Amino acid sequence: MPAPSPDTLKQAKDFQLPYIAFGVARLPESDTVFLGASDFKVYSANLTAGKLEPKELYAHESYVTGVALAGKNLVSCSYDGRLIWWDIDAAKQIRSVEAHSKWIRKVIASPDGKLVVSVADDMACKVWDAATGKLIHDLRGHPEKTPNDFPSMLYAVAFSADGKQLATGDKTGRVVIWDVASGKELSALESPGMYTWDKVQRLHSIGGIRSLAFSPDGKQLAVGGMGKVGNIDHLEGKARIEVFDLAGGKSQWMYESDKFKGLVNRLEWASDGSWLLGAGGAGEGFFLFNDVSAKKSLRQEKLPMHVHDFAINADATEIVSAGHNKLTIHRLG
Amino acid sequence: MPRSHFCRSADHDLNRRAFLGGAAAAGATLAADMTQLNALAAPDLSKTLKKSQKRVILLWLAGGASQLETWDPKPGVSTGGPFRAIKTDVPGVMISELMPKMAQRMKTTCVIRGLDTKNGDHGGAAKVMMRGRRDEAALRYPDLGAVLAREMGLAESKVPDYVTFYTQTEGRGMAPGDAGFLGARYAPMELTTNNHPEFIQKLGDITDLDHQERADLRTLLSKQFEKGRASETLNSQNEAYQRVRGIMASEKLFDISEEPQKVRDRYGPTQFAQQCLIARRLVEAGVPFVRVARAWWDSHGQNFETHQEMVPELDHVMATLIDDLSERGLLDDVMIVTLAEFGRTPRINASLGRDHFASAWSSTLTGGGGIKGGSVYGKTDKEGMKVVAENVDAGSLFATIYSAMGINPHKNYYVGSRPIPLVNPGVEAIEDVLK
Amino acid sequence: MRLLSFLIAAIVGLNGATAFAADLLPESKPIPDVIDHYIQAAITEAGITPAGQADDATLIRRLTLDLVGRIPTMAEVDAYVKSTDANKRVQLVDRLLASPGFARHQAALFEAMFNPEGSAKNSGAVREYLIDAMKAAKPWDRIFREVVLPDESDAKLKGAAEFLRARVADADKLTNDVSVTFFGVNVSCAQCHNHPLVMDWTQDHFFGMKAFLARTFDNGGFLGERGYGTIKYKPATGPERTAKMMFLTGTVVEDAANKEPTPAEQKAEKAALEKAKAAKTPPPVPKFSARTKLVEVALKDANADFFARNIVNRMWHRFYGAGIVNPLDQMHSENPPSHPNLLNWLARDVAANGYDLRRLTRGLVLSKAYSRSSSYDSKSLPDSKLFAVARLKPMTPDQLATSLKIAATDAATLEGKPEDVEKKLEQLEASARGFARLIAQPGDNFQIGVGEALLFSNGERINKEFLTDGNGTTLARAKAMKPAEAVTFLVKSAYGRSPTADEAKVLGDYIEKRKGREAEAHRQVLWALVTGPEFRFSY
Repeated sequence: MPAPSPDTLKQAKDFQLPYIAFGVARLPESDTVFLGASDFKVYSANLTAGKLEPKELYAHESYVTGVALAGKNLVSCSYDGRLIWWDIDAAKQIRSVEAHSKWIRKVIASPDGKLVVSVADDMACKVWDAATGKLIHDLRGHPEKTPNDFPSMLYAVAFSADGKQLATGDKTGRVVIWDVASGKELSALESPGMYTWDKVQRLHSIGGIRSLAFSPDGKQLAVGGMGKVGNIDHLEGKARIEVFDLAGGKSQWMYESDKFKGLVNRLEWASDGSWLLGAGGAGEGFFLFNDVSAKKSLRQEKLPMHVHDFAINADATEIVSAGHNKLTIHRLG
Repeated sequence: MPRSHFCRSADHDLNRRAFLGGAAAAGATLAADMTQLNALAAPDLSKTLKKSQKRVILLWLAGGASQLETWDPKPGVSTGGPFRAIKTDVPGVMISELMPKMAQRMKTTCVIRGLDTKNGDHGGAAKVMMRGRRDEAALRYPDLGAVLAREMGLAESKVPDYVTFYTQTEGRGMAPGDAGFLGARYAPMELTTNNHPEFIQKLGDITDLDHQERADLRTLLSKQFEKGRASETLNSQNEAYQRVRGIMASEKLFDISEEPQKVRDRYGPTQFAQQCLIARRLVEAGVPFVRVARAWWDSHGQNFETHQEMVPELDHVMATLIDDLSERGLLDDVMIVTLAEFGRTPRINASLGRDHFASAWSSTLTGGGGIKGGSVYGKTDKEGMKVVAENVDAGSLFATIYSAMGINPHKNYYVGSRPIPLVNPGVEAIEDVLK
Repeated sequence: MRLLSFLIAAIVGLNGATAFAADLLPESKPIPDVIDHYIQAAITEAGITPAGQADDATLIRRLTLDLVGRIPTMAEVDAYVKSTDANKRVQLVDRLLASPGFARHQAALFEAMFNPEGSAKNSGAVREYLIDAMKAAKPWDRIFREVVLPDESDAKLKGAAEFLRARVADADKLTNDVSVTFFGVNVSCAQCHNHPLVMDWTQDHFFGMKAFLARTFDNGGFLGERGYGTIKYKPATGPERTAKMMFLTGTVVEDAANKEPTPAEQKAEKAALEKAKAAKTPPPVPKFSARTKLVEVALKDANADFFARNIVNRMWHRFYGAGIVNPLDQMHSENPPSHPNLLNWLARDVAANGYDLRRLTRGLVLSKAYSRSSSYDSKSLPDSKLFAVARLKPMTPDQLATSLKIAATDAATLEGKPEDVEKKLEQLEASARGFARLIAQPGDNFQIGVGEALLFSNGERINKEFLTDGNGTTLARAKAMKPAEAVTFLVKSAYGRSPTADEAKVLGDYIEKRKGREAEAHRQVLWALVTGPEFRFSY
């Protein structure tokens, strides 16, 4: 079934939140979403209610930066270095794992729900057995320091649609492709435009690869972040997406928004590959729909908040976005 | 009423007498002087007047570091950000988890948590926080470095009195070292492009001997001109030229390759680390004031990323500097100050940034012999929005620094007939943190 | 002359002086004679012997530096020293006053006076305005008017507006800087409290002056002024007060029509301002202009005394190295002038003669007091306040850089037709301007920093811009000379005089010792000469 056209996009709802929501996951075939928030808590919320009243499930000890659904479990990650497994049906915590020695930036689940993967600023990508919480792989392919001797950061991770490959992306623009089964590094790509090191004016950096997404056919990888920044005190680089051909390891298309500045924090392709959606922001937020094969922008939409994450339902008719003090629902088709 | 005049302090009267004595001696024939070319420098009388030499290293966190991610963490509240607070070697004192090394050294350090300095504009605030007060419409105050240079510098010191590193460009124009009404004599040696001072090395087209004898020739010509003339400005010119060779000899102080590799490794490879190592070399050689500006902390976007990148460096370098000074027996004479234009807003903006905030922020004072290590002065509310106890403004912070250095903060300088105290009338040091 | 009497009464109270306006020397007496009369009187009273007159070479150096901002060329010195004309000093002064260098140098000094903290934005425009003003011999009251009431529709007066423009965002600074620059009064202390030391200045004075100036604002790069507006302030004790427009003498200007505009008026005002902005023209002048009133009241009758005494004191400072009142911004009853009658006479004279700066300058530099030697042959120097010995004046950055250029230029190329020489000197002056920016502007109690000594000792620019031996330079010329000849030439190039016997020996030995590399030795000798105080100062 072809994905609905971005032309049909409409904002349906806009809820205020008393915190920053960094992660959102939607229970399939339902109106229940889970949120990870800046008040250290994980919430569930029902989208059909007239008023959004998120219910607190449990808490971490720092910002909750990601939530992922692995079968019947919810797994959350936090800057506190922990992954927490939550049994949705039983409404109870299954386990809490001290997963990384530094901030965990993201957690995702494999398409079949059997694996959970986390990336953190200890520059490790860890593959976990979703059912047992056992560590399967500790993947190290990113330098711990930037070329300028400052700590690097590992922000982004994504599974290929068949679940056989993983991509990880770090602060300086390095992407590593992994074979999930063996834990071997398959290849590496560089997207250095995502990283701005300001040596002359400010002596620190900004940017980094903030999002990754394999195309449905597994042939391409989209990398999201922000282009070169003049004043790195602000998120004023152009929202940037670079698409690589995985077979050749070559950059195919570099897109920079002519309308929006800020970080592309989340990327996802339509299941038929007809569009690639990037979302993110700076002071405010955006959706960027692109036709990658035609190398053209389809639609650039302003959002009421800086978006940190979104969840698209199976037929791509609804996008739930989480971000700075807001949750929005957009409809397609 | 006897009227006081600027530049008639005891030191200057003494210099003047020295000068007149020197002028009389120069009455001997010029030819006789030729035999003692290298012995022309006037005796350094003021040296004996100086206190046991106290020095300051100012770590200037340019752009405004966040107090919440350093010295005054507020974990778990909406303004607190993601970092945890950790325990320190001082019971009850917690600092940000980004500073584990300083957490083990808080016994050396006093944290001022209640800074309320009113000015949230980089340029204006940099002036206030470098001078301890706002300039008057027609009176430019000397900054901390110039005051220290004047109070602690030796008249014919062989090292510079006031060195400032600010090798990033952002914010540099807003916070230049400035001797204010003290004038060019106390102006800083500014390093703005690299770690090597301008004009400290002789040019290749003159031999060292010629460089020296050319200067001696100048001294002779000056001696002749000085006969029957007296002027503070003339003295200052001669003093300046007499210091040239000494300062040139101090070039190696700026060269960290003179340090054992072990020491360099200990500080680390970053520019800030290297400049702090140079600062240590400078204070060790007697430079009264060194500022190392570390720009640029102005994290309007991505505050936490920025601080995650920059605070560990500050933590490591500051801890190393403390250890190094301490091992060399210098920590009782050298005070390390961390200061900035202001701190950052507790409120986190949509770009996950923090903005300018001068109402409740922090500074630290370490060592120097006069400060109570392990003390914390000032308390901010739960969310860090305001100071709820022990409010400190720029003036009392400066009065505290001066007092800890053994300088009476109420001491007057004179501009014309007008007495100008080092801090504004009514401003007092924080006795609670002074030994 | 009510105020004058008041001031004199105050001075009498403080000093026990006995002079009254009527006792001043007659108006008709030439300025130099008056200066010498009063200066000598104080010297006699103090019972000391003043320094003798400076020799001709020193005097022409001093006059040339003071009037046109450079050392004289060797030819100028020689001609002056050689001349037996009894009137040669007057002729020299008149020639210098008429030269284009006079306008440029005096403009530079006025610019530094307007912006003591360093050159402001658009300093080019300020300089241009001031040079034009000096060339046209504009009286000081006219410059005051043009600066405080700038006509921005006249492109030629563009630079005049910069004084206000640079301060328009800070009314306190504007208030104080206007008071300091034009009236010699620093009222900033009175901003927060009545002046602790000086009875003259109360908060009413500060806010009274501010009331004249605070209505000024920026409108799209042009200066505007509101026809309304009230300054309120909170005294150190007591309830809030509304400041009247009050000049320093206490004269109050009433603004009876002052009221906050109605919403309709506000709208109309806004529209007019937007229109002016869009048209890039100055906004309309209000019916009641407080700044205009300030200029009127400041120049009216006895009020003008502040204005006159300030410019006289500042010009005196310019040529004598210190004010009759010091510091220049502390002209008040508790800081008496060293020579009250002289100040009073000069103030009366300048006001009576239309604030003619050139006339005043001419008078100031023709006195015997001006031409005294700066050297005194006794261990106990007389009190500097007596002006019994000439002061050393550190050169300004422009003076120093231009003079370095001249010393480094082969004197033979600076001879010939006066207009050609003038042109060449102007080129040298222009080429020195970049280097001048590296030198600190001297102020009161100026101390030269080690930065300058390091720059001269090790800066590449010294070699490249000054101590070169390319065609037409002093060093190129010296190459063919024997040591003794070279010493004489180098000393004359730098100091405008022949070497003493001691110098000839020491410098000659220095060159002899470097046989085979005399060119280097010459360069080092010239370096030692120009870095010495005899070069660095006007003496």
